[in-house]
Amino acid sequence: MSKKNWVIGIAAIIIAIIFPFVAPKFQLRMFTEIIILTLFAMTWKMMLNEGGMFSFGHAVYFGLGAYASVLGWLHIPGLSFLSGILLGALFAALVAFVLGAFLVRMSGTYFALLTLAFNQLIWAIVWKWRDVTGGDDGLGKFPKPELFGLVMKDPATFYYVSLIIIGACLFACWYFTKTPLGNICMSIKSNDERAQFIGLNVKASKLVFLTLLGFMAGISGALYAQFQEFIATSVIDGAMSTNVLFMAYIGGIGYFWGPIVGSAIFVYLSEYLSSFTDRWEFILGIIFILVVLFAPQGILGTIRRKK
Amino acid sequence: MDSIWSTLVIQILHGLAYGMLLFLVSSGLTLVFGMMSVLNLAHASFYMLGAYFSYQMLKWIGNFWVGLLICPILVAMLGILMERFLLRRVHAGGHVQEFVLTAGIAFVIMESVKWIWGTEPLPVPIPAVLSGSVMVMGSVYPVYRLFILFFSIGVLALMAYILLKTRLGITVRAAVSDRDMVSALGTNTPFVFMLVMGIGTWLAGVAGVIAGPFISTYPGMAGEILVDCFVVTVTGGLGSLMGAVLASFIIGQISSFGILLIPRFAIVFAFLLMAIVLIIKPSGLFGEKG
Repeated sequence: MSKKNWVIGIAAIIIAIIFPFVAPKFQLRMFTEIIILTLFAMTWKMMLNEGGMFSFGHAVYFGLGAYASVLGWLHIPGLSFLSGILLGALFAALVAFVLGAFLVRMSGTYFALLTLAFNQLIWAIVWKWRDVTGGDDGLGKFPKPELFGLVMKDPATFYYVSLIIIGACLFACWYFTKTPLGNICMSIKSNDERAQFIGLNVKASKLVFLTLLGFMAGISGALYAQFQEFIATSVIDGAMSTNVLFMAYIGGIGYFWGPIVGSAIFVYLSEYLSSFTDRWEFILGIIFILVVLFAPQGILGTIRRKK
Repeated sequence: MDSIWSTLVIQILHGLAYGMLLFLVSSGLTLVFGMMSVLNLAHASFYMLGAYFSYQMLKWIGNFWVGLLICPILVAMLGILMERFLLRRVHAGGHVQEFVLTAGIAFVIMESVKWIWGTEPLPVPIPAVLSGSVMVMGSVYPVYRLFILFFSIGVLALMAYILLKTRLGITVRAAVSDRDMVSALGTNTPFVFMLVMGIGTWLAGVAGVIAGPFISTYPGMAGEILVDCFVVTVTGGLGSLMGAVLASFIIGQISSFGILLIPRFAIVFAFLLMAIVLIIKPSGLFGEKG
């Protein structure tokens, strides 16, 4: 990491820590949402930027992480906060592994389309399997366990806990790119044939990578469920898969801080535009078009280029 | 025994009507996404525009057939404008940029439709000539659905003729398979691509006009058919017209019989089919590459 990145990182951490003392309550809520969605956007961005895989169906891991952890909290008495999140993440990783076994054999457009098929398939099952998932009505009223005696119902406490969990995961994501496996994934992205020629196991590496990203997205989903205190099929539908793409793209896919900037812009935009006009999706659409035309490398990419 | 057979036939015909409507929408996507590899999420929005334009035409002129002639051309003009001024500039950037751009366009079209026509479903009457019903195997069957069936077959035949037999079709197919070579031979490929986008959105517009009296015209109709269209295009094989026909037929029957037999999980089967086809034969039922 360059010196500038350290400065930005430390500044971001300081801002994040003092934020609850200065910000009004609804701002804190939005900030928590941004932090949780950042990890989700980060997994999508890493899949494309580090792994060269374009996912249309990323909500599967996020949504199943949310559902699995909520079902755990509902049906396993005394399941702790962290165990519930771990349960969701492990389930998401398991699904990512099983789907990944099929996905790693695909490339390019076909990979993207198979992720779309899986997303729609699993969304439809979750939607229709009412006995377990609640279908359209969703699942609410699940416990919000305390963590080491900390009351998670307090927004500021929940914010700090999310910040620590997500921060650790983001660090793990960054660290992954420095590991040998991370390097292998990037070499596969730039030329998978050559990677195979020098003896790398392309499919196995991709599968491990997908499983790890599924795990991370699952953590994000489980935290999101605790944040909303309610989940419905909207956490796993195509719109969620589209939103994560917007977040990662607006920030800038080629940059580590891209998903953070992107999810912040996305959450603030949807929140403020919807309070300001009923036609907020119209303005959001125009913004997407303008970003693609005038900032094709995302906001961060445009800032870097101007310098 | 008789009643089982007539139920079966009616059910197949219902599936055919939806399947063929799906084919009409998907055929445009087969051209644009399947052949040109332009990811256009706004495709179904053009279909929706076709339906709303037709509603407006009926209100002003009162003739369905004039609408069927004019509305798809208006839709195609919008599609050409979109290609010329927006999509062309980002095609080099790949699918991610096309995705965000066309999703933005889909948002804008959706909100504009809500703005102009409201969110309520709008009734579009079936034209008088086609409003009756006929007896099929002892059951009543609406003429309009038979019209959808034959009209779609006509469109399929026309498209197959243009693509396979005319100079335009050959140029289009050549430009899709090797763009640089065809440019080098002196063909204006950007113009060809713009034209294909025009034809693709024209087909979406036609499907929209036809769909108006068949299913209600409302702002959610685009989102509802969009995923099905991608399922058809992919399952049939990217760029394959015959594949799109077969896949539309299968999806139509799946939704028709699925709702009859297992209503709760009917929706799952189309996606299951797509996943299975992609896993076994990624190039789709009729695809050539991959």
